[in-house]
Amino acid sequence: MRLYRQTLFIIISLLTPSISSAEFPTAPATEESFLGLVEPFCPKSVNPKWREKQQIEGVSIAPSPVCDPDNPYDIAAFVKGTNNISMATMMQTQLSPDTLIKTNDIDGDGDPDEIHIRLEVIELNGFSPDQKDPITTYNIAPGIQPGFWAFAPKSRGMSNESFASIKANPFLRLPSPSIRVEQGDKIIITLENSHYFPHSIHFHGVDHPFLKKNGEGNDGVPQTSNKLTMPGKTISYEMTPRQTGTMVYHCHVQAHTHILMGLIGMFIVEENKPDNWVQTFNIGASFVRHSSVAVQEKYSQEYDLQYQDIDRELHNLIQQGNDSRLLAKAYNREYNITERSPDYFILNGRSFPYTLRESLIVIKPDEKVKLRVFNAGEQMLSLHTHGFKPTVTHLDGVKLKPDAQIQRDVFTLGPAQRADLELYALNDGLNNMGAGIWTFHDHNEAGVTTDGIYPGGHISSVVFESYLGANGMPKLQGVDVSPFFTKEFYQKKYPIWNLSDENRLYGEIANTTAPDMKEKDKGSLNITQIAILIFQIVLLLATVLLIRKHIKTENAN
Amino acid sequence: MRIKKPITTGSLIAIGLSIGSLFTEINAAETAFESKEPNKEEHKDNQHARHHPEKKMMEGMCGGNMRMDMKGMVMYENKDKLPKDCPEISEDITIEVKAGVKYAKQYPGTVFGFNEHQWQVKPCSRITVEFTNDDDIRHQWMIHGLPKYLYPKGMFHIEVNGPGKKTGTFIVPSSHFTYLVHCDIAQHMEKGMKAQLKVGNGRGDLPSIPGISAPKFADSFSTAK
Repeated sequence: MRLYRQTLFIIISLLTPSISSAEFPTAPATEESFLGLVEPFCPKSVNPKWREKQQIEGVSIAPSPVCDPDNPYDIAAFVKGTNNISMATMMQTQLSPDTLIKTNDIDGDGDPDEIHIRLEVIELNGFSPDQKDPITTYNIAPGIQPGFWAFAPKSRGMSNESFASIKANPFLRLPSPSIRVEQGDKIIITLENSHYFPHSIHFHGVDHPFLKKNGEGNDGVPQTSNKLTMPGKTISYEMTPRQTGTMVYHCHVQAHTHILMGLIGMFIVEENKPDNWVQTFNIGASFVRHSSVAVQEKYSQEYDLQYQDIDRELHNLIQQGNDSRLLAKAYNREYNITERSPDYFILNGRSFPYTLRESLIVIKPDEKVKLRVFNAGEQMLSLHTHGFKPTVTHLDGVKLKPDAQIQRDVFTLGPAQRADLELYALNDGLNNMGAGIWTFHDHNEAGVTTDGIYPGGHISSVVFESYLGANGMPKLQGVDVSPFFTKEFYQKKYPIWNLSDENRLYGEIANTTAPDMKEKDKGSLNITQIAILIFQIVLLLATVLLIRKHIKTENAN
Repeated sequence: MRIKKPITTGSLIAIGLSIGSLFTEINAAETAFESKEPNKEEHKDNQHARHHPEKKMMEGMCGGNMRMDMKGMVMYENKDKLPKDCPEISEDITIEVKAGVKYAKQYPGTVFGFNEHQWQVKPCSRITVEFTNDDDIRHQWMIHGLPKYLYPKGMFHIEVNGPGKKTGTFIVPSSHFTYLVHCDIAQHMEKGMKAQLKVGNGRGDLPSIPGISAPKFADSFSTAK
């Protein structure tokens, strides 16, 4: 036993630093930190006239006071159909003449009942063999460009803004647009597969037959109903939905990756009403500038809120190679969804602070607003509204019985679930607590971060009109939001609270040699580190052996 | 009880080294993924002078000079206006271009393609492009870098909406130059629909053209298992 104690003592004394008085160690100084380029709250490229209330092609288009509203000419085309608008309006959009054909008032109630919709599949932030950075770019937050696939209304011309730009044209974005049809309409949806992988559409929850009249499959599932729609090919799906509600459409080819890459959107069947010209597409979801007749009867406004979460590892695969065989292997053989962990959280295709440009809910006292909330991600969503307790009226597109229409301030939705909420600005302390800028966000706290940086994720706000300033900027009175509009903030280069921190209590430490643990720890051990590691292992094993040997000798004795 | 053979120092080092090499392998794999090194010099050629965002293209499209129908469109056609430096049209030439997934087959790893990826014409030629789309989706034959006083945004563009054919004509200037031709639907150029038009002797080859030139940022096949 003596030798054992001796060994233990030697090890402990080796590991314990010697106790001796040392001088006060001066901590390193604080380094001054500078903000990078601060993007304006509202970009100059936005056309302020698009925010106004207007009539185009006889379509009344509601005002949209947020910074970056939908193009009203698109709205007119989406309400009337590309076959029923003038060439002048057409030129203000980037639609193809056959994007949306609306004809034939079958029931004679003043609106078209045969609707032919054409969708393409586009890739955002994809690979370019000609330049280092991704091409056809789309930022979810300052400097953040995960790769995406999305459905988009068939367009014409370039996907990039122009030859001089690598930005996606504003029409091509996330989420896949909300699609609205009228109950009982004869609908044909044609998927034009303009992407380099096979794709399909499955109409989740939408009343559709398994087979089309000609016997071809109609469910969009490769295992059960349909052959693959390969690149360059098209497929049409047909339906006449009898039931109304907030439903879903998504790709069902390799669904475990294709849905999460962005091929998912809302599919809303509106009640059949006279003169009910519905806005077939809602680009980027959010505010519906031309609501259906039934929605207008009960509500003053309507919003589509689509939540998604993003595992950077999946989305960046398209940025790591160009060869279709490498890409197919990366997506279908190498990426493992069971090891997934999300890094980014988006509402209507953007993270905070960009959510404030597009996805604010602007409201007046006593207004009743319809929210269609859709969890299109892989995580649970616990949506919490400050200042309100909304009422749930529908779940997964089905109307709840009056007793089941409950009020809460957290609504939890699993993947693919939908809730229709009634947001009532009645200042009674229950429905609403009065005017203000009331934020709404996921209460799974990861959801309010961007790669772990707060504030980010899908934070947005309900803003009372009295709190809305110029260019759709809320009259914020909290901290300076400038840092959130820089790349550096989300690259973790700017210290927290810096603009509020006169005494630099939390500033950057000068001359720090501490390695960036998260990035560098994984793969870049140098030779010295490896040598130390080996030495430590050897030492550990030798100690264990020594002790074991000694114990056995003692036992033998 | 028999004492097991003690582990030798040599085998301990071997274990240590194998643990170490594991990290090195991870490191090498990650480096392979980062193989897209920037090359700023090459970055300057005309074909990707994409750094100065312009206003949306649709504004340009309102200027007219566009034929559009359900089958597609021809934009900025020019059958008779001579470039300043051309006293006359040197020759009339017709090129037949076919586009579709089937033309990608001869270049492994691409998905979309043209039947030919290079054309050569005399300076001041009048070129008629007969553009056939063999796919069921949209494709484009779009050329950039033409004189802006004749072609808005320096472009001439044919788009065919599904299976079919559109024909359009334009006139090139006299200088020897290599023009970029592509389909600008997202990822169509990157996945094979990239070509070049050489006027006179041209001015070198553009990168990443199937069958003609290497990509600037090539795939790393060493990571394939």
